[in-house]
Amino acid sequence: MTDQTTYRPEALTGNRTLLAIAIILSIVMMAPVAWLVGLSIKDNKELMLGTESVFELPYTLVNYVNIIYSSQAFGWFFNSLVVAIGQTTGVLVLASLAGYAFARLEFPFRRTIFVIVLFGLAVPEQAVIIARHQMFNWFGLHNSYIGLMLPGMSSAFGVFLMTQFFKAIPKEIDEAALLDNASPLRIFWKVLLPLTLPAQATLGIFTFLHAWNDYWWPLISATKKEMFTLTIGIASSQTNFAQSEGLGFLSAQAVFASLPVLIVYVIFQRHIVTAVSGGAVK
Amino acid sequence: MSASIEITNVTKRYGALAVLDDISLSIKAGEFVVFLGPSGCGKSTLLRMIAGLEDVTAGTISVAEQRVDTLPPGKRGVAMVFQSYALYPHMTVAQNMSFGLENIGLPKDEIERRVQQAAATLEIAHLLDRKPQKLSGGQRQRVAIGRAIVKEPKAFLFDEPLSNLDAALRGRTRLELAQLHARLGSTMIFVTHDQVEAMTLADRIVIMHNRKIEQIGTPMEIYRRPASRFVAGFVGSPAMNFVPLRSVAANGRTVKIGASGLGEIHAAFRLPASFSPEGASLGIRAEDITVLPAGQTGIALKAEVVERLGDRTLIYGQLADGTKLTAETDGRSEARGGDTLQIALDTTAIHLFDAAGTAHHSEGD
Repeated sequence: MTDQTTYRPEALTGNRTLLAIAIILSIVMMAPVAWLVGLSIKDNKELMLGTESVFELPYTLVNYVNIIYSSQAFGWFFNSLVVAIGQTTGVLVLASLAGYAFARLEFPFRRTIFVIVLFGLAVPEQAVIIARHQMFNWFGLHNSYIGLMLPGMSSAFGVFLMTQFFKAIPKEIDEAALLDNASPLRIFWKVLLPLTLPAQATLGIFTFLHAWNDYWWPLISATKKEMFTLTIGIASSQTNFAQSEGLGFLSAQAVFASLPVLIVYVIFQRHIVTAVSGGAVK
Repeated sequence: MSASIEITNVTKRYGALAVLDDISLSIKAGEFVVFLGPSGCGKSTLLRMIAGLEDVTAGTISVAEQRVDTLPPGKRGVAMVFQSYALYPHMTVAQNMSFGLENIGLPKDEIERRVQQAAATLEIAHLLDRKPQKLSGGQRQRVAIGRAIVKEPKAFLFDEPLSNLDAALRGRTRLELAQLHARLGSTMIFVTHDQVEAMTLADRIVIMHNRKIEQIGTPMEIYRRPASRFVAGFVGSPAMNFVPLRSVAANGRTVKIGASGLGEIHAAFRLPASFSPEGASLGIRAEDITVLPAGQTGIALKAEVVERLGDRTLIYGQLADGTKLTAETDGRSEARGGDTLQIALDTTAIHLFDAAGTAHHSEGD
């Protein structure tokens, strides 16, 4: 049988060029990560003499052992976990309820309120940070989990995403449930909410990653060392500008901090790719 | 259980836009009534108002002699099958069917009994653990009907439930629905724009047009004695032929009719004195026109297109003055496009429509 598939030479060249670009970009992206991992398994004293020792034996896990015995990284890790999980849960609950209300319920000024919420997408965090700091100061919320979590819970993006997702569910599903004698709350909980799981997964992953990596607000709100999140804690471990001392230990802490994000990515890889590609990949 | 449905002076408006205007209709317990009409005539809106999914602007709706238009959908005792089936995608077939029963607090063993019974009736017992996306269109349709059956409603409401099925499955499901109605004896209201569904399923058809009920009658009443030119043109395939009238002269019961291209026709009619040929037309169905054997003389029809449907042949042609006419003859006809045929009309099957579209039927019909 004759193979009907034909390869155009220009298409093949184009594919190879794309592959080469992808490989180069991957190397550019991965090089700092590899460098960080390399530094984390080198002795601090060796690194003080020159970071090129990364390419030479011996390697050691002493920096990781030191995290366990001599650093506050576990406390900061716990703080990050509480803040990220709390914030993610809050965003999912609030955005789902708001999305359902905007998409399905009739109430006065619904469209106006939705537009106001959407304005939240256009306001940068930097524009409100001083006012927010002042407000949290008045309420005594700095250096608390609530203080660290609360700002991230008001997710205009989350409300928008969930509203659009609820709108995409055919109204006949609600109507069938109404004829099945279900109350609005039961329709939300038993019928519609389970259908939004893909959107919840997307929103949850993004919120978790954002909360885990957030640096600015914890830097402002958490001034006590025991309330630091990992990002702030690691930054505070930097002993001098050139970081000539303890570079291996600092790198090990950074690797340690990245682990949850890596785990989340590995587990939810498919959802993240779908979310980033805007649903184009199924 | 079946119940009568009474719709009294019901009007529906969206702001200034009237969708239904002063509709009144009585449906007997156990009757299969079909709402038939073109898109946008308000038939689905009327069904949704009975279900409680649309508010009533004016008028009342009663089910089993109890006024229901002020009650929420779940309290009206009706079950609805949607065009898109509207099954809950994340629930299994069994969960889809039992959801409504759980909501009214029925005991678990009773729910189980009803689901099993409905599943056996609809031959979907082997699908109870599957989710809707694992079902074919026809199976989804059965589950949607099963979800309605388990509620043992006073009336079933069907909103174009066959339109998403392919032609073969549509025919089969239509037959099964008729059998289901015969078995359950329930009141059923069925909305469609497909006249074959209406003709085959209905005890009575309600023809809707322009926000109003145009005619209510049995399928054959609607077909043989249409109340208006709209009904005559809407029901039947091919559509009824309409030929402009030139003159009408009554002589007792016999009326001498002059129609474009048909010459003079004598037929028995009881026409009102005010009947005028101005804007009026003569209507006749294709099957009431006979193609005469070669050698006989009648009215000349020049065939333009000949459609062979196997059991019958449709001849689309022109009369001598250019008026279009469709005639039907048997499947063995050898007529071809371009032939000039001789035809005769069955004068007992002629209808006359005045300028307002009101029908007058031949006395012989």
